[in-house]
Amino acid sequence: MGKIPRSYLLRRLGIFFLTIWFAATIIFIIPRLAPGDPISAMVGDMTQAGGDVENSQAIIEGWRARFGLDKSLPEQYVRYLGNLLTLDFGYSINAFPTPVGEVIARALPWTLSLLLLAMVLTFAIGNFLGAILMWRYTPRLVKMFIPVTMVFTSIPSVLAALFLLYNFAYVLGWFPDANAYNVGEVVPGFNLAFIGSVIRHGTLPALAIILVSFGYWTLGMRGMMITVEGEDYMQLARAKGLAPFYVLYRYMIRNAILPQVTAFAITLGTLVSGQVLVEYVFQYPGMGKVIYEAILAQDFPVIQGASFFLITMTALAVLLVDLLYPYIDPRISAGGES
Amino acid sequence: MKVKAIFSVLVVALLAVVSTVALAQDVPREETLIFDFDRTVTDPENYNPFTPAGNTNRGNGAHQAMWEPLFILNYETGEIDPWLGTAMESNEGLDVWTLSIREGVAWSDGEAFNAEDVVFTIEMLLGDETATLSNAADMQQWVESVEAVDDLTVQFNLTGPNPRFQVDFFAVRVVNSILIMPEHIWAGEDPLTYTFFDAEAGLPIGTGPYTLTSSDSTRFMWDRNDDWWGVAAGFEDLPAPSRLIWESVATEDSRVQLISNDEIDVANSVSLVAFEIIQANNPNVIAWENDLPYSWADPCPRQLDINTTIAPWDNANMREALSLIVDREEIVEFAYEGTTQPSSTMFVQYGSMSPFIDAVVEAGYGETPTADVEAAQALIEAEGWTLNGDFYEKDGETLTLNVLVNNASTEYTNTVDVLVEQFVDAGIDAAARPVDNSTFWGAAAPTGDYEVAYGWLSCSSVNEPWASMNRYTTNFLAPVGEPAPGINNTGRWDSEAAEAYTAVVEEIGTLPLGDPAIVDLVVEAYSYIDAETPIIPLVQATKLLPYSTTFWTNWPTAENNFNHPAFWWNSAHQIIHNVEPAS
Amino acid sequence: MTTSQPPVDVAAVPPAPPEDAPRTMGRFNIWDTPWFNARLMTGVGIITAILLMGVVGQFFWDVGMATERDRTARFAPPVGFTNFRGEPGSWAHPLGTNNLGHDMLAVALVGAPNTFLIGFIAATIGLGVGIVLGFTGGFLGGWIDDFIRLISDVTLTIPALMVLIVLNSVLDRISITTMALIIAAFAWPRATRQIRSQVLTMRESGYVQMARLSGASTFGIMFKEMLPNLIPYLFASFIAGATGAILAAVGLETLGLGPQNVPTLGGTIYDAYRGSALSANFWWWWGIPTVLLAVMFVGLLLVNLGLDEIANPRLRGRK
Repeated sequence: MGKIPRSYLLRRLGIFFLTIWFAATIIFIIPRLAPGDPISAMVGDMTQAGGDVENSQAIIEGWRARFGLDKSLPEQYVRYLGNLLTLDFGYSINAFPTPVGEVIARALPWTLSLLLLAMVLTFAIGNFLGAILMWRYTPRLVKMFIPVTMVFTSIPSVLAALFLLYNFAYVLGWFPDANAYNVGEVVPGFNLAFIGSVIRHGTLPALAIILVSFGYWTLGMRGMMITVEGEDYMQLARAKGLAPFYVLYRYMIRNAILPQVTAFAITLGTLVSGQVLVEYVFQYPGMGKVIYEAILAQDFPVIQGASFFLITMTALAVLLVDLLYPYIDPRISAGGES
Repeated sequence: MKVKAIFSVLVVALLAVVSTVALAQDVPREETLIFDFDRTVTDPENYNPFTPAGNTNRGNGAHQAMWEPLFILNYETGEIDPWLGTAMESNEGLDVWTLSIREGVAWSDGEAFNAEDVVFTIEMLLGDETATLSNAADMQQWVESVEAVDDLTVQFNLTGPNPRFQVDFFAVRVVNSILIMPEHIWAGEDPLTYTFFDAEAGLPIGTGPYTLTSSDSTRFMWDRNDDWWGVAAGFEDLPAPSRLIWESVATEDSRVQLISNDEIDVANSVSLVAFEIIQANNPNVIAWENDLPYSWADPCPRQLDINTTIAPWDNANMREALSLIVDREEIVEFAYEGTTQPSSTMFVQYGSMSPFIDAVVEAGYGETPTADVEAAQALIEAEGWTLNGDFYEKDGETLTLNVLVNNASTEYTNTVDVLVEQFVDAGIDAAARPVDNSTFWGAAAPTGDYEVAYGWLSCSSVNEPWASMNRYTTNFLAPVGEPAPGINNTGRWDSEAAEAYTAVVEEIGTLPLGDPAIVDLVVEAYSYIDAETPIIPLVQATKLLPYSTTFWTNWPTAENNFNHPAFWWNSAHQIIHNVEPAS
Repeated sequence: MTTSQPPVDVAAVPPAPPEDAPRTMGRFNIWDTPWFNARLMTGVGIITAILLMGVVGQFFWDVGMATERDRTARFAPPVGFTNFRGEPGSWAHPLGTNNLGHDMLAVALVGAPNTFLIGFIAATIGLGVGIVLGFTGGFLGGWIDDFIRLISDVTLTIPALMVLIVLNSVLDRISITTMALIIAAFAWPRATRQIRSQVLTMRESGYVQMARLSGASTFGIMFKEMLPNLIPYLFASFIAGATGAILAAVGLETLGLGPQNVPTLGGTIYDAYRGSALSANFWWWWGIPTVLLAVMFVGLLLVNLGLDEIANPRLRGRK
């Protein structure tokens, strides 16, 4: 690891594990601060559905015992930490006896495919627009047009989603309105019908996400391009008479995009919680919906399992950014030691 | 490189997680009946209705199309319609009940449905030491033992007299009934963890005329089993739809669009505006009533519960004053746009309840639809409060009131907004206290953490008065801060009158359904409620359910009232058997 | 900061080349400063107009109607339009009403400044904390830096949505200030990280080394030498942060997690989509808050672009 001293690497790894532990502790505590508890809420829901529930006390006691919620908080915490180590989050309370792992596994592929794809596209489109916005050879008309499209950024994602749903699914009927694929009509698997169906179902949600968020990257890229423009090597490249496209790609974008990539890594964590409403509007069976519903139902094990997954993902991304930073910006040495 | 790696991971994950299901045959739209499903399912591969996972799934068609109830309480006639059971009768002492099962009922895999299945299911619930299976605690409270007398006869020996044993547990009184499971499949499984799902083995199964074709968290498909037992047994013809679909719908906008375009045939409750738009878009759409209120009243009338332990509302006169300030007609008009009716008592206003309601009203204990603010202010002033500016004051303290409300629906918050305005106009510095659903049901309501709570905590009675009245007896008293058992008597009504009330209600509870003595006892019990005002009935609940007649007709309506229209209940078998193709 | 949009990144703002910053000094014509560029002025003008609308509006219009229901006029359309029931708009509610009969003009007058205020407070706090911790960590290094990084990483990784939903059930009522604090609580780690990396870069620059050699105190170097050079950068960060905070707030409000009983733009959109506003063509219900948001966003964007011109003289005169 040429540039990274071992002591720094160890310290950074230490911070990584501490981060996960601290964050895991916080996600243990926070749901328990809410008034009420998941079992009473569940029985309350039953009350709501079916008039009164006779013997609800007996039911509450039974469930508390089964989920260890009758134990003291320290005991629950120790058990929780033990579960973290084995990645076993037990059973969902709201959907007992479904294991938390299964709940997450069912939603994860959809989230990864839809949201990750949408984010990568957003990143690509946004940065491309930002780059040509500052490029001196871009036609004026295009330069006028790009800032106008950025107004989309101010539209709340739910509204964009509803709008697309209303116009393209209901009024025009070009796209399906719900689900992730034609349930019951195509066989999930590696076949064209299924993949086509997934793409058709994913288009509108992905579009909603892209529309409201590419502007951030455009803005950021624009800023980085300004900085790059002023660098000496740019003068040199131009003086050498290199082709404008070659300069744009090789000198400008290549240099300007690095900080954007770091920003992208940090944004990964918000990937899931960010698009809850888009998933909700399109009835898309992803992680955002799982987390949102689990929080509303105070389903501790699912909240903890899903959050732990997010935490690990974000912490890993942040760790990578920190370890890669010295490679990205030569002016910085690892850990800031001079 | 990276992209490739990510992509291959995705494909592998997709293949691994999504299990293959049988490809369904194409069924023409006009032979398909599509329901709106207003929730999403966490685990679409659990069909064990006794666990939370399966219990939240059962409204996806499982208990409307696949699992049949023993009996169905008919809200319109007040009778109990037989289904898998033909009769259920008790002895004189009301503690031995005998169930007769219909002849010729069969599971969809061909096995006969018989007394053994019933005994197996009840004994499974009795044997659940954790008491966490749905209805296990109920069965353990009431059933001493259960035995098969012969193939078609089951005898329940109860722990004590219970005149409501059949209607409470086996007749879809509200939403659910205890579902009987096939012994030949369930035997030997652990009911606490068994999922009763295996697409390849053809599970789940039921006795109903439809079997599961595909199950995803937002869409459920059921196809008709043309060998259904009911035809051969001469019970009912095959239902008309060859396929049923339950489709998750997220927003009212989606609901409006889907039923306007005939992409669903029946929708969950919508607002009046939405209904007007649907009718404008799709003239084939109808509802329970042809005109206002359009809607059907569900069994949970809206009301205020008052915490009787918090001053100044621990004073019955002050509670009476609150009651007098409430203008029910205004609530109907402004919170419901005319889609409901004022309540005159705590009870739901079904035909079968009217003898009790009429008697209470005749005795002068009923509620008026409009307010009497002057009388209310006289009561408040008699307690030493004086109007200072906008609000009443006593000893330098302003008269305040917090109204707890579950913010899960705009119906609730709109009603409370109107109520708060009425209280403020009358001189009480009132404010709404919105909390989320789990706080309301999990903490605030059961522990009595409120001054006044908006909700439907007396909900229970539909054909007899005891179930609702029992919820306010002193048997459920718990200190404020601890949950009240069954979320009953959350206002901690505890006085001499409450004791007297409890005694009368307990007497009602021992009489067989329909006993003529009950009416007078109800009036006597209600006199205590009238005297101390632990609750303030407001309006009837409302469900404005649009049905489209483009593909299917003969929906339940006020004129064609074969039963109530709650299509998400276990009783929806009747609706599915009744609908007819439009062409 | 989680919500429906990825947060605006402070890094998105170009770092200021330190040598450029003091350029405005020493000019004689006070009007000839980069601070008076067209973009900045237009942007500031737009934002001021929206805020003024809220301040001045209450003298001309009964803003109390934003929360009071007019029972006689629900779903009223703006003047000159009719709603689906065929009812025409009236001057009693020039911009129409919503499902409860709340006056949309009053909602706009109160809601837009409220939404802006949330962003402003959140960005101020977020950036303030970011400056202090970013400088401290970046300059001092060592275990202090590690500790700051630890807590900021922890905050970055916690799903903020969870915290918000829980807070929503613990607090009976969420006010504008609470909302701003909640967003700030999730905005500071990002600012801290970005400022820290700026500081790391700058620390190696010539003038800081000089100051250090000449024996200036740590505190002095940090806040007397480095901070002034970062000011244009911080300004731009602030505007970017405010934009991000506003959109974050709107995102939460459209989830129904915003302040109750206080009109906000996001809250209005939340009510609208729960009330079939699209199907019923109540376009004014969701349209007015959306247009206001867009205008506010454009204003902030122009301010941001204008600030860039100050920080980067090369951009002046270029379009």
